[in-house]
Amino acid sequence: MALLGVLLRRLAQGLVIVLLTALIIFTLLRVVPGDPVRLIVGGMAPDNVVEEVARKMGLRDPLLIQFGHYAGGLVQGDLGHSYQRPKSGAIAQGGVYNDPTRGEMAAVSDLILERAPLTLQLAATALVLALLFSLPVGIAGGLHPGRWPDTLAFFIGCLFVSLPNFWLGIVLALVVTVQLGWLPSIGYRNYAYTLLPAIVLAVELSPFLIRSLTVSVAAVMREHFIEAGEVRGLGRARVVLHALRNASVPLLNLIGIQLSTLLGGVLVVEYIFDYPGLGQLTVNAVLQRDFPLIQGIAIVASGIFVLVNILVDVAATKIDPRLEY
Amino acid sequence: MGDTAIQPAGPAVPARLPGGARSVPYRIWADASRSGFMRVGLVLFVVLLAAAVAWPEISGTDPLKSAIRERFLPPILFGDKWSWAHPLGTDQLGRDMLLRSLIGLRYSLLIGVLTVILMFVVGCGLGLLSGFKGGWVDTVIMRLTDAQLSIPMIILAISILGVSRPSVASIILVLGLSGWPLYARVVRSVTLGERKKEFVRGARVLGASDWRIMALLIAPNVLPPVAFVAVLDIARMMIFESVLGFLGLGIQPPTPSFGNIIADGRKYLINAWWIATAPGVFLALTLTSINLMGAALERARNRAYAGES
Amino acid sequence: MTAIDRRLFLGGAAAAAVGMPCLNTDFFIHSAYAQAASKPIVFLGAEALTGNWDPTTHTNLGQLILESFVFGYLTRCPMRPEKPEQLNFELATAVNPIDKYTLEFKLRDGVAFHDGKPFGAEDVKATYEYGCQPDRAAQWYPGPVEVEAVDRLTVRIKTEKFGYPAALFYYLSSFLPILSAKDVADKKVLAARPNGTGPFRFVEQKGDSSILVANDKFLAGKPKIPGVTYKFVGDTTTRTLALLSGEADIIERLEQEQVETIQKNPGFTINKAISVENKYLWFRCSKPPFNDVRLRQAAAHSIDRKVILEVLGISGHASSAHISPVKFGYADVPDFPEFDPAKAQALLAAAGFPKGKGLPELEYYVSVGFYPKTKEYGELVTEMLREQGFPVKLTVLEVAAWGNLLYDRPGGGAGHMIDCGWCTGSPEPDLVLRTHFHSSSKRITGIVDPEIDASLDRERNAASTEERKRILQTDTLPLLAQKVPSLPLFTSVFIHAMTKKLDGLYIYPNGMQDMTQATLA
Repeated sequence: MALLGVLLRRLAQGLVIVLLTALIIFTLLRVVPGDPVRLIVGGMAPDNVVEEVARKMGLRDPLLIQFGHYAGGLVQGDLGHSYQRPKSGAIAQGGVYNDPTRGEMAAVSDLILERAPLTLQLAATALVLALLFSLPVGIAGGLHPGRWPDTLAFFIGCLFVSLPNFWLGIVLALVVTVQLGWLPSIGYRNYAYTLLPAIVLAVELSPFLIRSLTVSVAAVMREHFIEAGEVRGLGRARVVLHALRNASVPLLNLIGIQLSTLLGGVLVVEYIFDYPGLGQLTVNAVLQRDFPLIQGIAIVASGIFVLVNILVDVAATKIDPRLEY
Repeated sequence: MGDTAIQPAGPAVPARLPGGARSVPYRIWADASRSGFMRVGLVLFVVLLAAAVAWPEISGTDPLKSAIRERFLPPILFGDKWSWAHPLGTDQLGRDMLLRSLIGLRYSLLIGVLTVILMFVVGCGLGLLSGFKGGWVDTVIMRLTDAQLSIPMIILAISILGVSRPSVASIILVLGLSGWPLYARVVRSVTLGERKKEFVRGARVLGASDWRIMALLIAPNVLPPVAFVAVLDIARMMIFESVLGFLGLGIQPPTPSFGNIIADGRKYLINAWWIATAPGVFLALTLTSINLMGAALERARNRAYAGES
Repeated sequence: MTAIDRRLFLGGAAAAAVGMPCLNTDFFIHSAYAQAASKPIVFLGAEALTGNWDPTTHTNLGQLILESFVFGYLTRCPMRPEKPEQLNFELATAVNPIDKYTLEFKLRDGVAFHDGKPFGAEDVKATYEYGCQPDRAAQWYPGPVEVEAVDRLTVRIKTEKFGYPAALFYYLSSFLPILSAKDVADKKVLAARPNGTGPFRFVEQKGDSSILVANDKFLAGKPKIPGVTYKFVGDTTTRTLALLSGEADIIERLEQEQVETIQKNPGFTINKAISVENKYLWFRCSKPPFNDVRLRQAAAHSIDRKVILEVLGISGHASSAHISPVKFGYADVPDFPEFDPAKAQALLAAAGFPKGKGLPELEYYVSVGFYPKTKEYGELVTEMLREQGFPVKLTVLEVAAWGNLLYDRPGGGAGHMIDCGWCTGSPEPDLVLRTHFHSSSKRITGIVDPEIDASLDRERNAASTEERKRILQTDTLPLLAQKVPSLPLFTSVFIHAMTKKLDGLYIYPNGMQDMTQATLA
């Protein structure tokens, strides 16, 4: 049961990290200029109304007390309520104030849960596409170090990492959707709308996967060569299989680390393709300065980071028992 | 996007650095410059840099000056309205696309380089301190690094820039502060090995202060290899800067930046494709040149260590 | 539809019962045959809704458009160019001026709100007396008002206590949605969902889409289309692509380039109309440096509006007055401040800032995504002002963030200049002029100027329509052009694009739409 103990310890550490994230985001959003209360009461409200609402909401309390309240809600799964989006789901806009009538605002957790499935679908599709592309390219590169497949893998890596995702997204939308009409992509109606954004994300992810695969496969190849595996007539397929098994650990780690790349990509790509997931929600929340929503998304994202990294570590030890926690 | 290019990929992080390292940076450089990729990258980069530095000065046109009657001119050899005066055409206000792209390149490079310097200084400084001092200093710095690595920095960065007013300085600060933890980690792990070495102990016996040892003995051994790899981060930060510009959170118009030109051009994609495409090609070329150099350097570094261990 | 003509109506000052409108029988013929073949119309709007369904809380055009589907109005004003001042009766069946301070409306019988409550005099009373309160954010009313419910279907609008003529409510009647008295009594309910007597009933909000279905009991018969979906899509390109790909049936706020693209495609039509919206460069007049009229004039003389119009292409129409040509009382002001660098320099020097030296950095906010080409001409205006020495710093904001900075507040609104248009579904000029330039409202500029106040009061209190028009054209508008609390840049041309399958739609010059006759093949 050592595993369970370690798991619990990691989870506890993770919780501390998430709370720390919450504190950092919370503090930063409050020290930067831009009064959140102004957003709540709307542009037309006179300053005394702003102050009144701020006091009523406890937004003029010392920062730590405010955070205490927030964290209190957080542990019960309450991420607060959006400043800009009412429960009905539309985006609210300025110009309103002193209204007991202002409609009830949507819970941040609802907004996130509502959007999460589409983003997961996008991320999963992108990951699958990236692996489908990277595996052959990376393995070929690793099997022939210094020869053309290696050079090709290297070059593809350099090229893909140099394509700005938003630009690639725009160009693909123009060519594939508008001019050729092959794939729909603006907005979301069915799964087909996921493909083009996923391709853009996959292009962003592949260089890292290819690089990692090439290096791992090459290392295993060296080992086998030294152990005279080739001489003994071990099949090439078995070498690759063995190499894959070894390569999967750094690959898993890489996926854990690349999560933030994926997240950054998701933001931009969803925004460009008008894809109604978490990324688009985030960008809009930032552009509209919807503080509770930004906070909520950041906290959920850091929670996912922590969880994925724990899972990656656990999976890595399962694959290669020599690794310790 | 929040992370950096120097993650452990294969044997990227050596457990210990070989002694007599003064020659290592040179060997890496010499090895890398034998690579065709390095040469192509370097030439491309120098050409682009020279163009960005010189052309806006000698062209005699103002990248902010609009000329309404000359708007939407296509690049040379496209359509029938093109002119030699605007090799890459003009934008929606008749401004020269070549000039604007080059000004964008200037800002992009400036921000990319300064950002990487900032995160290099902060990250390596903390990493050195952490690895050398050990004890509670180490614990605090490493926990801070862990925490920051699991914070979605992109969200933090766009939040700060979205809520405050973006300026060149705030962009550099936000990006730089989001990228230091990986440097700290790498440098710490190398320093850990380094401080046990004979010459460090010797210096200590001779009464050298901690700061002196760190600055004069350890840093010169530890930092250059990291610096080579930091080249790749310049490209990443340039992409990041252009993403911010694209979202309207970067350099504010009318000053051109890759991101804001492309964002504008997106609207005219169907009618004037070059507005979004030209700066995109420029950005991609610059990034390719940097990535070719960076990747060649990284490979050379990995070979240097693989060969020794 | 029943129609009356304002000229007849107010021809003699306090004349009673002039121009008793004749009944247009068409109105009742096209009635209840809902066609199963017709689909709901998907309309992509450029502005997000406020999230509060109380119409008195906002000036949001997207929501005004939606309200025009859901709510009923005493009258409607199609503002057709050939007959701009014609009103059609809707919830009212007759209007009689009793005296200068009293206007009587006869109401239609047998109408019910979507929640079932029968419509009557108490609803008009509740709506008007609630909406005119000074703390209502929308501020469409010229001043406080009392409403007397004479009987179940007769109301009298009274303004005597407040010292301005009741005739102002004539045009306003086509712009103020009628709320249910029951809702007005419970503001939470009022804010939670729209409940009107209009042709479409609000069903639900799904993300950025508002779902409306045809109202079976609409007073002119059930609309032919089964419903309307209003969806907010903030990006012009995305709206265009959605129309072209068939995801939307009608879209609004298009620009030259998108129109060109759409016109290449035979399946779509473009609707173009000079709107009631002028776009302005608003100065923050209550704080330095633009509290100095000379600097505002200098800025006005620095801006070449012809160049702006050229960039706008078909989305703009030249305007030299603070109201749109579709508004009552419009006339080009002869001495409108035109581009004149020499004058600008002279004024700058006179104000103590020769060539702009000594001026603080001036913040200029524009929005992106909603109004056509705002960022483009924002950059132009910045460039033109900088040319004359104004140290302008441009900030481009997303619409919601910009909206939060828009209005004046004590000590002056955010920044020094902000871009905005003003669009109201009525020819009534005071919806712009009084709202923005009278010291009792001064929405964006924060201007307090006794001369402007006096001129606005003179115009509002005019004894007759002709007199009012004369005052507007020879006094108020020239005064505003001289004091430039805001600089009108141009009049917007509203462009809608729709699929050819959509037929029988009427688009008002403020973007509201009449879909009661529309069909979608």
